[in-house]
Amino acid sequence: MGAAQGPIFRVESSDSWCVSSQDHQFPGPSSCPQPWLVFVLNLGKDSNNVCLHFNPRFDIHGDTNTIVCNSKDDGVWGTELREPAFPFQPGSVTEVCISFDQADLSIKLPDGYTFKFPNRLNLEAINYLAAEGDFKIKCVAFE
Amino acid sequence: MSGIFEIMNMNMKLGTTLKIKGKIADDADGFSINLGQATDKLDLHFNPRFGESTIVCNSLDDNKWGQEKREDHLCFSPGSEVKFTMTFEKDEFKVKLPDGHQLTFPNRLGHNHLSYLSVQGGFNISSFKLD
Repeated sequence: MGAAQGPIFRVESSDSWCVSSQDHQFPGPSSCPQPWLVFVLNLGKDSNNVCLHFNPRFDIHGDTNTIVCNSKDDGVWGTELREPAFPFQPGSVTEVCISFDQADLSIKLPDGYTFKFPNRLNLEAINYLAAEGDFKIKCVAFE
Repeated sequence: MSGIFEIMNMNMKLGTTLKIKGKIADDADGFSINLGQATDKLDLHFNPRFGESTIVCNSLDDNKWGQEKREDHLCFSPGSEVKFTMTFEKDEFKVKLPDGHQLTFPNRLGHNHLSYLSVQGGFNISSFKLD
């Protein structure tokens, strides 16, 4: 079910991001427009077993325009990796493509730049996808 | 096949249509597509059952099932590729089946936003889109 090893899956965001969910953990005015601070995509088995925590930070936790990636194994965070690439614009529709095999996940950013993150959990299938922060899932395709 | 695929923090508002495409497994005896707030709070549980030749719809509120609504219009079969649309309105859900037949299910829980999608059983999702 969902993405087995190999296929790429694309996630596209919606531009109607200004409606934040109740559990929105970042302060900001409730009216639109609101500055983008951060968004998160978690992929894995469930909320405690995340093979890719993909966390672009516009301006939060001392990071500006940086992508922080990590994994969570049985609820325990791994070591963070940082990517300086940042092809994201606040308020825009954006698309991220993620493919994976036993060794790595490959993340292709909207400008085509691709980087890898190790598949530390060795998951053979991804069946959980969660978005948090200033990102609303609009479209998902498995190719 | 007994898998589950889940999407959290989706942004489905009133008036939105979800288009969902996928392939029904060759050995499927049924599958379900769930839309709601969380695993224990489902505004629409859409569950085609091949063994019974029926589509069962229901709602789940704090883990308590509501009253089933059955529709004997099963216009697809194991092994086929299918496309559905599900429109979320204030009073009801409108599900358009692959042959164009439409079934409805009341918006019993009265929510105006859906954030959770899950697919269970013999259905391999290939894409979904909110319009």
